[in-house]
Amino acid sequence: FSSIFQSVAGKSALEKTDLEPSLKALKERLMTKNVAEEIAEKLCESVAVSLIGKKLGSFTRVASTVQAAMEDALLRILTPKRSIDILRDVQSAKEQGRPYVIVFVGVNGVGKSTNLAKVAYWLLQHEVSVMMAACDTFRSGAVEQLRTHARRLQIPIFERGYEKDPAIVAKEAIREAMQTKQDVVLVDTAGRMQDNEPLMRALSKLINLNKPDLVLFVGEALVGNDAVDQLTKFNQKLADLSATGSQQLIDGILLTKFDTIDDKVGAALSMVYISGAPVMFVGCGQTYTDLKKLNVKSIIKSLLK
Amino acid sequence: MVLAELGGRISRALQQMSNATVIDEKVLTECLNEISRALFQADVQFKMVQNMQANIKKIVNLEDLAAGHNKRRIIQQAVFNELCNMLDPGKTSYTPKKGKPNIIMFVGLQGSGKTTTCTKYAYHYQKKGFKPALICADTFRAGAFDQLKQNATKAKIPFYGSYTETDPVKIAQEGLERFKRENYDLIIVDTSGRHKQETALFEEMRQVSVAMNPDLVIFVMDSSIGQAAFDQAQAFKQSVSVGAVIVTKMDGHAKGGGALSAVAATKSPVIFIGTGEHMDEFEAFETKPFVSRLLGMGDWSGFMDK
Ligand SMILES: Nc1nc2c(ncn2[C@@H]2O[C@H](COP(=O)(O)OP(=O)(O)OP(=O)(O)O)[C@@H](O)[C@H]2O)c(=O)[nH]1
Ligand SMILES: Nc1nc2c(ncn2[C@@H]2O[C@H](COP(=O)(O)OP(=O)(O)OP(=O)(O)O)[C@@H](O)[C@H]2O)c(=O)[nH]1
Ligand SMILES: [Mg+2]
Ligand SMILES: [Mg+2]
Repeated sequence: FSSIFQSVAGKSALEKTDLEPSLKALKERLMTKNVAEEIAEKLCESVAVSLIGKKLGSFTRVASTVQAAMEDALLRILTPKRSIDILRDVQSAKEQGRPYVIVFVGVNGVGKSTNLAKVAYWLLQHEVSVMMAACDTFRSGAVEQLRTHARRLQIPIFERGYEKDPAIVAKEAIREAMQTKQDVVLVDTAGRMQDNEPLMRALSKLINLNKPDLVLFVGEALVGNDAVDQLTKFNQKLADLSATGSQQLIDGILLTKFDTIDDKVGAALSMVYISGAPVMFVGCGQTYTDLKKLNVKSIIKSLLK
Repeated sequence: MVLAELGGRISRALQQMSNATVIDEKVLTECLNEISRALFQADVQFKMVQNMQANIKKIVNLEDLAAGHNKRRIIQQAVFNELCNMLDPGKTSYTPKKGKPNIIMFVGLQGSGKTTTCTKYAYHYQKKGFKPALICADTFRAGAFDQLKQNATKAKIPFYGSYTETDPVKIAQEGLERFKRENYDLIIVDTSGRHKQETALFEEMRQVSVAMNPDLVIFVMDSSIGQAAFDQAQAFKQSVSVGAVIVTKMDGHAKGGGALSAVAATKSPVIFIGTGEHMDEFEAFETKPFVSRLLGMGDWSGFMDK
């Protein structure tokens, strides 16, 4: 173990072998924090590349140099490159005389419908009028679930029951919102596995037909290595199945169940790393007020602790 | 099933080692590292993977001292045994018996698949001649009762629940009394999703369990769960007497390593897996055949029951 803290001051430049023990320890730490193996590996490789050949100041330990480089890398990855200001965009859609449309997508049971309701509550707080569209026309109780939230929040809901084509239901909902002058339409969709070809095709149809302003991928903080595959395939399938040249992919991430994972916050990193999409909301409980913004600093702190 | 991918990788790692002319420390370490990586990617808990690696090294080195042993075979057997140990808690779970009321309670994290799996489980036993009935003791989630009701109606299984009562204990008791009176022999209670960080939710689960006095508590776990699996499963086990695990959403891409962690944490076997959203997408699970299938079967069968 002592080799991790070995000082290589006096050596000319860092070599791969100097870095290996610290990087191995760091990779393991990331994995215990629930970062996907593949992502932890790639991150460590990039940190190695950035350090090989560099000279260490005297009395600087390899471990702390590696740690600092990793911190930089994490900050770079987790800081959004595109910033989306929903409230501003809602306003400009309104000026164009049309509702702003958000579609919630993701695998089964991650919290799409519940967090859709939380986002509705958040919009109401900002004096934006909201309508829900019940486009999960498959899962038992999905329509009643959304109806319950709409009733509690006292907002309109557009529903056509079960077994209808969700793409069409969404289309009609948006038309209705236009007529009744709602600012935002929140579209709930059924959960689906990223490998399920027919269901992914149906989702792509919904998106192609309705061209929402924002496609929010809902992923749970509990997920392990599958996070990588979920985001890769949702993005890939939406791109492949896109009808128009303008490919609409995942615009942002809504990370749920953040209250269930203690310090194992790695899924946040895996999701952002693989998709490049920003975490726009964090769900941290089961009531309407349990919706927060991502705190990048505290994520990094948890990851490296 | 994607779990087979994990088996394939482990087999390949062992194969590669078999191809090496001499098996020295380096070859063994490489092989074990490769196996560990496969397990990490399958979401097996970090500590468990490390322990497994250490155990195998210990066994192999000890055996090393005795001359005349086939090293490759010792290593292969050690890997097989360790995997079996992870999945096999060494005891079988309660199985419903005809001619008496069997009371089964479902628990688990939010969205893991409890409500869906309750009906699958009931439907499975209905086909075997049981008379199942479902109770919805989830008074929290919006639309929970409608969900169970619609599922039960599709399967033609009677159900009990309420739109207005807010106390899950009361519903559980009322449902239990009614279905006992009506001579149902498989009474299944669905509960709300919960997590260990909310002690009030765990207390509620404990109370439902006291009221029901179930023959079996089933912990339902999503196959895609990562490193949080072990701690959550252990916390459930400490609050109610979990006796079996069902792993859901195995039709997805996840390799289901979290399940191994849940088995270790609850010391309970996996009894079924869920492989889709429909009622009949449900399979019985048996550890040993599963692990040998995982590792590509063949000569592995010879290791079983040792
Ligand atoms: N602890 C916690 N639970 C959550 C959070 N978000 C959602 N849930 C719970 O997760 C469960 C599933 O939520 P849903 O909103 O129904 O999930 P979904 O993605 O719409 O599910 P499907 O439509 O069936 O695919 C419910 O019990 C929610 O209360 C969260 O941030 N924290
Ligand atoms: N693909 C697939 N989906 C499943 C499976 N089992 C359950 N689901 C889906 O997972 C989602 C959540 O299932 P539920 O049964 O509502 O989960 P729950 O544990 O009762 O959720 P809460 O009561 O909110 O805690 C639903 O969309 C189900 O259809 C499975 O084996 N495969
Ligand atoms: Mg939903
Ligand atoms: Mg449920």
